[in-house]
Amino acid sequence: MSDQIARPFATAARWMLSGVLCAGVSAVGAVPAAGQGRAPVSGARLPAIEEVGPGRLERLEQWLKAAARHSPGEDDEALTEAASWTNADLKKLWLDVNALVQIIRLPPDRRPSRFTVRSADQKRVTQVSYKPAQFRRLTILACSAGGNLNDPPGERTTHGVDCIGAADELDADLRRLSTLVRAAKVNGDDNYIIRRGALLHGDVAMLAPYSMEAPGDVRPTGGLERFRMEISDGQEVDLRQSAVHWEVARMLLDFVRPRGSDHADPGHDDMVRQWYRATASWMQLREDHDKVHLDRARTIFPNDPDILFLSASQHETYGGVPIQAAVRSAVLPTGVTMDVGVERVELREAEGLYRRVLELRPGHAEARLRYGRVLGGLAKHAEAAPELRRAVAELTDPEQLYYAQLFLGVEEMALGNREAARAAYDRAAQLFPQAQSPLLALSEIARRSGDRNGALRAIDRLFTLSGADRDEHDDPWWWYYTEQARDAEDLLEAMWLPYRTDRLP
Amino acid sequence: MKRCLTTAIAVLLLAPGGRAQQFSSRIEAVRVDVLVTDNGQPVRGLGRGDFEIADNGVPQTVDLVSFDEIPLNVILALDMSDSVAGDRLDQLRGAGGRLLAALKKGDQAALVAFSHAVQLGARLTPDVASVQAALAAAQSSGQTALIDGTYAGIMVGEADAGRALLIVFSDGVDTSSWLRADAVLDTARRADVVVYGVSVVSRLKPEFLREITSLTGGRLFEIEKTANLAATFLGILEEFRHRYLVSYTPHGVPKDGWHKIDVRVKNRRTTIKARPGYLAGDAARE
Repeated sequence: MSDQIARPFATAARWMLSGVLCAGVSAVGAVPAAGQGRAPVSGARLPAIEEVGPGRLERLEQWLKAAARHSPGEDDEALTEAASWTNADLKKLWLDVNALVQIIRLPPDRRPSRFTVRSADQKRVTQVSYKPAQFRRLTILACSAGGNLNDPPGERTTHGVDCIGAADELDADLRRLSTLVRAAKVNGDDNYIIRRGALLHGDVAMLAPYSMEAPGDVRPTGGLERFRMEISDGQEVDLRQSAVHWEVARMLLDFVRPRGSDHADPGHDDMVRQWYRATASWMQLREDHDKVHLDRARTIFPNDPDILFLSASQHETYGGVPIQAAVRSAVLPTGVTMDVGVERVELREAEGLYRRVLELRPGHAEARLRYGRVLGGLAKHAEAAPELRRAVAELTDPEQLYYAQLFLGVEEMALGNREAARAAYDRAAQLFPQAQSPLLALSEIARRSGDRNGALRAIDRLFTLSGADRDEHDDPWWWYYTEQARDAEDLLEAMWLPYRTDRLP
Repeated sequence: MKRCLTTAIAVLLLAPGGRAQQFSSRIEAVRVDVLVTDNGQPVRGLGRGDFEIADNGVPQTVDLVSFDEIPLNVILALDMSDSVAGDRLDQLRGAGGRLLAALKKGDQAALVAFSHAVQLGARLTPDVASVQAALAAAQSSGQTALIDGTYAGIMVGEADAGRALLIVFSDGVDTSSWLRADAVLDTARRADVVVYGVSVVSRLKPEFLREITSLTGGRLFEIEKTANLAATFLGILEEFRHRYLVSYTPHGVPKDGWHKIDVRVKNRRTTIKARPGYLAGDAARE
């Protein structure tokens, strides 16, 4: 795995931004959680009715097996199979998975004749109508995915599914799946297939990036549409539709019931929290940005400092020059917008989020240094400098300290404290003697002070660095926008590990 | 603004083929590179008596005017980021090579290559072959630190009292500089370096290059393609050689702050291109 998520230095990075189809925004949606039925939104469209074509449930069956077989974090056969599915496949699959979960979870008296799937924005509803034979097959699959094949006779209808004889219509893998699901339930977790489905689709997005390039042009085809802009050196180099694996993974996790709960409540589930934190870190480390991802995470975990920190750093990144330049240079198809505000808007978002992180976790020195930088970017120099001085006092990691000294130098200069600025840059230069940024800053300060010789001495130190021995690690400034996600690999490993056992062989 | 401490004026120390070495007095001269054209054609043969210079509106006495006789310090600051790869890199190297080959005896050249990293390919040297070699060895990769690279180019010019021409080439926008544009523009106002910019047309306007070329009296060339980049580079060199170097010792004006410069040619309808002013004194230090 390490070679797949190695830190992409600014030199080689290609930034990715996700955008949405603005006109008629739609998304494959999640069914309301049990017990949390939502009233129809005023002005909502009439439900679209989805007739299920022949052979479609075979894909659902394949999905169940792939989810139960996939070893998280590994590029295995199950992942390869899921990676081959088109967006059209995924959209239909999503409807069928919704129906499957409703059969598993709703009591018999609430079992629907048609399955209603609501979009994430609650504005679009699809009703899925199965033919009798299809519905029967769906209930048989629910027996497997719900872990009900081996229920004692008295319990066989408590989950809304009559599973007597179902085993005879399932192959060995699906019978084994039922056993695995049941074992998880015995251990208190009623989310076996949901969690593994989410892990599968998230892994496809991360480990099979080729699969994220949906074939065809960028014209919308209806339903959920995601676009990805590839950026190199501040300019758009490609724009194409993206596969919706992340969306499927997120929507699956919306179904998660925490241990001991009888309704979906992902905000109280630690695996969901770990998944969002790890995957969002991965995205930031890879400069593969998706605002929707962290927006969803923040909705589910509104007071989680780690999620808020990543969300803040994403806004800070969006307010940075590389992305702002790329968005200004982009040529977008009609109706498509990028989820990026102008610099000031993004920095204000970041400011508010960093402040919230510090309220929740005052000792988060990295958040404080970034908060200070953002305040400076908003010209709040008098507020920025004390935050950065405090960050300098609290930080011990050399890279974080380097950033804090650099940013403090900027703020001291803005406040007219030239000597303090010079001292901050000197300390930064001592921390990373090969780094060019503090030397440029020291030269510029000297030149501005009328000290031409001092300016030349500082720039000469930079020129002395020039040569073949310089490399991409010389100046941490070059990877500032990914530094906050440096532990993505560890987070992913920790999140994956418990799910590498109890799988289909 | 380079502060020339000279017995009379800086250019007196710049004998053709020689290099300025030391200054020994405290009188500060101001040098202004001036392009005089008539219907787009350079006007030749002007002397001291033909120029009128006002410093903050106060007429000044022109000390010296020279034309096409002072060696040049030509600094190339070239974008070597990811976007400059393949044919474009070949064309950039070729154009740089043609420019270097066109330098005269006594001229010096230097190379600053910048991606996200700023590298001094070659210091100012009359040994043009060594600069050619550095250019040939330069590779493209990474992001674009246009502002940092331009600052480094200015400082290379500042390191020598010679007449400095900085040519900045970039095909993109700044994505990774540490220095801010306004800080480098401020440095340019204090320097004697004339900046010419060459930018490949894109949806993003090259605002930084436009500003820095304007306030140093240079020019920005926005080109569609780099196939004929050599002609652009050679045109810049040719134009720069046709500029007058006009010097005066300011009097009757405050020492500090921004000095607006107005240059005119007496009794002729000409077009003048020169820097609009300079920063001096203590006020220049803030």
